[in-house]
Amino acid sequence: MALGKKAEEAESQEIHHRALGLGKATRWNIQRISLKQIAVVSLIVVLAAVMMLPFFWMITTALKTNNAVYQLPPQFIPTSFDLSNFSNGMRAVHFVRLFINTAIIAALSTVGSVLSSMWVGYGLSRIRFPGRRIWFYIFVGSMMLPGIVGLLPLFRLYDSIGWYNTWLPLIVPAWFGNPFFIFLARQFYLTIPRSYDEAAKLDGAGHFTILWRIMVPLTRPVWITMAIFAFQGAWNDYLQPLVYLYSQSKWTLSLGMASFSGIYNTPWNEFMATDLIYMLPPLIIFFVAQRYFMEGLGSLGGGSLR
Amino acid sequence: MTRDIWARAKRRNPDSWIGYLFIAPSIVGFSVFVLYPLVTSVYYSLTAWNGVTPPQYIGLRNFIYLFTSDVAFWPSLKATGLFVLMSVPSSIALGLGLAVLLNRKIRGIRFFRTIFYLPVVLPSVATLTLWKFIFDPKFGFANELLQALHLPTSLWLGSYSMALPSIVIIGLWGVGGTMIIFLAGLQSVPEELYEAARIEGGGDFTVFRAITLPLMSPIIFLELVMGIIGATQAFNQPAVLTGGGPGFSTDLFMYNIWQNAFQNQQFGLAEAQVWILFVAIIIVSLFTFRLSTMWVYTDENGEP
Repeated sequence: MALGKKAEEAESQEIHHRALGLGKATRWNIQRISLKQIAVVSLIVVLAAVMMLPFFWMITTALKTNNAVYQLPPQFIPTSFDLSNFSNGMRAVHFVRLFINTAIIAALSTVGSVLSSMWVGYGLSRIRFPGRRIWFYIFVGSMMLPGIVGLLPLFRLYDSIGWYNTWLPLIVPAWFGNPFFIFLARQFYLTIPRSYDEAAKLDGAGHFTILWRIMVPLTRPVWITMAIFAFQGAWNDYLQPLVYLYSQSKWTLSLGMASFSGIYNTPWNEFMATDLIYMLPPLIIFFVAQRYFMEGLGSLGGGSLR
Repeated sequence: MTRDIWARAKRRNPDSWIGYLFIAPSIVGFSVFVLYPLVTSVYYSLTAWNGVTPPQYIGLRNFIYLFTSDVAFWPSLKATGLFVLMSVPSSIALGLGLAVLLNRKIRGIRFFRTIFYLPVVLPSVATLTLWKFIFDPKFGFANELLQALHLPTSLWLGSYSMALPSIVIIGLWGVGGTMIIFLAGLQSVPEELYEAARIEGGGDFTVFRAITLPLMSPIIFLELVMGIIGATQAFNQPAVLTGGGPGFSTDLFMYNIWQNAFQNQQFGLAEAQVWILFVAIIIVSLFTFRLSTMWVYTDENGEP
């Protein structure tokens, strides 16, 4: 349909041009467009290559032998490979233990924030009760508050109940709803027709069933987006673990990697090898869930932001 | 009276208590993790508190000390201001430029969008430490590249004048985050608008100025406010890369707060700094908001 319309337009344009004796100019025009397109595409390719350079440098460094790392001028493509960088680097930061620590913290806080935010978002979008609007504004408004304001009083609070040097300050708050996720969930639940709920209610479904059986399956891009954000947030967090985790055995990878990079004479090839593996989980999750992620973010930018 | 309203509300919404059951987690979360620290932090900012013994009320002494005698306070504020001025506009300009560049129907364009977004996915510490090696004065990639091009090299993070710009450059590697929001916005611009402008004979630049820029202005504004709020709270860069140096050149305010609290055991002083930062963020945001009426495009209904 659309194609037919375009062809029609082009045809009418051609007739128009021919009538005005513009045949030659049209041909020029086409050529100019394709030249411009070539310029645009090559610009994109060049910029993308620049973006990839740090990755390239990282991967080649991770594969280099000790001598090659400190060789001048450097080898951009290493001539000899040393895969022991991976095992040596990982041993140096106690990678496996820190990886497990980080994974546990990230998994528990992700599950907590997604579940609780869907729960609250459902209440704010599907149940009428006095004060609903005010609470929504309070929750969303609290998003604007810089996180640093709470850091020291909360530190004192957690310390007083014995949570210092445990993972609890990194996990428990996630289970009480994340304002941004609540906002996202509510916006999406509002787009689901109410007739679905009515039908389910007639079949005897309660709110819990409606949330679990209707909302969750219908808004998959949203909670997958939330889960990615939450996981990345937890996996990447540096400040909170730095404040709360004292014992090295409880550290997260961000702490381990930062301290590895700060030692005197960091062995950069071993470091880059370890850094690569540290990056892998968020990268893999991003690629696997990318389709949903873009969908969820896209509707965020296109819909609720405007 | 209040009981009347409640009773009426209850009659009209028999579900009320279920509603509150659903939002209960957030009410608890808001009270404990937002309201409680917000209120108590006002008090803590007026105390001498070493993190071990109970805080002692000392009035405005923390604030007076910060404004008059603390050697790090003003340099740290200046570094933070410079960082915001350098990083936020450049990231918005680059992000919008990339979004316009990538907002076209070319085969494989998704692949390129992914490439530009990729650095955003990476853990901040991984990115920072990667760039730490790139900026290594002797064996790093940055100087090798400059040398190969016969350009003067730099000490980068070790140089008083280049340390902060280096951190800005690292941040620009993550420009994909800004880009993706602009892309989403651009994709909701009706195609007809562009076609109309082209038929009118508008060149690329005219179209960008007359259509893209006004229509993107609400998103630019949003990115501006979020960017300022984010940049004033930058912490990882000095913590992982520079330790605030050389001198005070990268002693960003958040890092200074953290140092005062957790390294110097001056929690009260740090809390006073938190409030100064908080008020500064509010003032700058209001100022941006005020200015925004001059350039953010709204339709006749006054809605963006």
